[in-house]
Amino acid sequence: MTNTTTPSSTDSFAPDTGVLRTMRKLHLPQKLRNRELALLLFACVINSVAIVLVQLGATGAVDLDLVYLGAGLSALVIGLHVCLRYVAPKADPLLLPTATVLNGLGIAMIYRIDLAKGLVGWSAASTRQITWSAVAIIAAIVVILVIRNYRVLFRYTYVFGALAFVLLLLPLVPGIGREVSGARVWISLGGLGSFQPGEIAKIALAVFFAGYLVRTRDSLSMVGKKFLGIRFPRLRDLGPILVVWALSMLIIVFQHDMGTALLYFGLFTVMLYIATGRLSWILIGFALFGGGAFFAAQTLTYVQGRFQNWLDAFSPQVYDASGGSYQLVQGIFGLAQGGLIGTGLGQGRPQLTPLSQSDYIIASLGEELGLAGLFAILGLYLLFVSRGIRIGFAGQDDFGKLFAIGLAFTVALQVFIMVGGVTRVIPLTGLTTPFLAAGGSSLVANWIIVALLLRVSDSIKTGPASEVSA
Amino acid sequence: MSELTLLILRIGFLLLLWFFVFAIVYALRSDLFGASNRKNTAAPAASPAPAPSAAPRAPAVPPRSAAPPPVLPTPARKHEKATIHNVSRLVITAGPKEGLEVSLGRDPLTIGRSPDSGLVIRDDYTSTHHAKLLLWNEEWMIQDLDSTNGTFLGGKRISSPTQITLGTPIKVGATSFELRR
Repeated sequence: MTNTTTPSSTDSFAPDTGVLRTMRKLHLPQKLRNRELALLLFACVINSVAIVLVQLGATGAVDLDLVYLGAGLSALVIGLHVCLRYVAPKADPLLLPTATVLNGLGIAMIYRIDLAKGLVGWSAASTRQITWSAVAIIAAIVVILVIRNYRVLFRYTYVFGALAFVLLLLPLVPGIGREVSGARVWISLGGLGSFQPGEIAKIALAVFFAGYLVRTRDSLSMVGKKFLGIRFPRLRDLGPILVVWALSMLIIVFQHDMGTALLYFGLFTVMLYIATGRLSWILIGFALFGGGAFFAAQTLTYVQGRFQNWLDAFSPQVYDASGGSYQLVQGIFGLAQGGLIGTGLGQGRPQLTPLSQSDYIIASLGEELGLAGLFAILGLYLLFVSRGIRIGFAGQDDFGKLFAIGLAFTVALQVFIMVGGVTRVIPLTGLTTPFLAAGGSSLVANWIIVALLLRVSDSIKTGPASEVSA
Repeated sequence: MSELTLLILRIGFLLLLWFFVFAIVYALRSDLFGASNRKNTAAPAASPAPAPSAAPRAPAVPPRSAAPPPVLPTPARKHEKATIHNVSRLVITAGPKEGLEVSLGRDPLTIGRSPDSGLVIRDDYTSTHHAKLLLWNEEWMIQDLDSTNGTFLGGKRISSPTQITLGTPIKVGATSFELRR
């Protein structure tokens, strides 16, 4: 992090410490970036080793073509690092390496599943994933270069709100909207494949929520009656949360996408909690979503199916039913097969699970890397999210704080929903595992999140915080 | 490729992965432990408890100057107007930053939660841009900047820029302060 300079309380000793301090300040960003470069090179080594191990395990021979493609990605990531040296020298040094390793592990696993299915060239998900990774990293570079000061986003709060709304509605427009396995969350890009606008919408929503809450938090946090020791808001202040709740319920009903609805609603609730510091918002959020989900489980057949697969996964009827728990149970069998240290990259059979390269990538990785590997991956996510929250915590203005925490929280919530779904902790819903799962829109969105977090972290002043909150 | 080699490679890769996780945690440690070290070294340097946390921006005295516990100045004559000549500082008398002093020059001083304020006060009851101290004809005035919870001068909520008298408590959110010589 950036605040490792000496405390400002030294500056009244003598003028020469001031000179030293300036020198250290000039020196510090350099140190941060060098640390980042070292970790980044390490990350690239891990990614190449993963691909080579997949080839050794699955085919017994090394084919260097894909390693070269991976090297191309490494070059792009290092390009991003070089950009940071110039335009954001004080940015957090740990986010980029973490995201790189996660992305690389995802590519290796998708490649492994392509090998098992005998897919090559453009029909292979791994080729597309590598292309999308390149697009995503370039998008991150563009964001870092274009947005020099994230506070300009605050000015366009409502523009981003409208943008998010339009993006969410796009898949429902006849002609460009596409329905894939029941969920209508895709738009088709002609011959270029399809895109999930909801992924970009979540960033726009984070901007909108942060900007909106900074403007209105005074009234949302202040007034209200105390009940059981917790201050509950007035009825009319419930407006915003009810609007977002209605929006997520509409997503469940019309787009058949429970995960996205939960993501948006959870994002808003958490940002509301952080902006106001009132626990009652969390309780209200839980009650609203729990009520909505219960109602949906009673009336909507696809939600009903999800709940049944979750509660009764191992019963033969549910297992054999079309759209039943076959996939979920295969994933769990895969995880069990992996055991503590896994079958080894390229030596398991993750391809038996349908969608093992996207929704079930965690189960695939768990099978081949075992519990030890899965925990390393979860550890990486934990570090990533904790850096994001740390950036928010140390942020200089309320908008930056809320924005950074919101972005970090979307990643955390997505990991929870996906890992929880695959391991049968919660009903499975279709989201993407950030950075790992096959899917272009998700990769682009998550790399933009990395870029935005880096941008916010660069603006944090060095030295101790000059004030504390009361 | 023999089974044994593959096994060694498999375990080796897991070790590599965990090594990376620990490399990141190692890089983090300066952030985690550096911060607490800094607190420890900073604490004895600056004396009254709330002072180190509260070093306001531009027109601030360094925190240590508040070191001798707030000496009560000669009692101000009641209802004496606060002017540029008889006011040198703003003293926080109640609230989380109690004891903090800010020296006043000729420049206006903004008060609020926003980090660009001259005096940053962060609590649930303070607005982003809450109030402003400014000079009119060499006399100090307090102006409320449409704050949610109001600015109180001597217990009365002000609606327009109001003349300040020496030693009269001004309340912003949960913080009270007054102007002193």
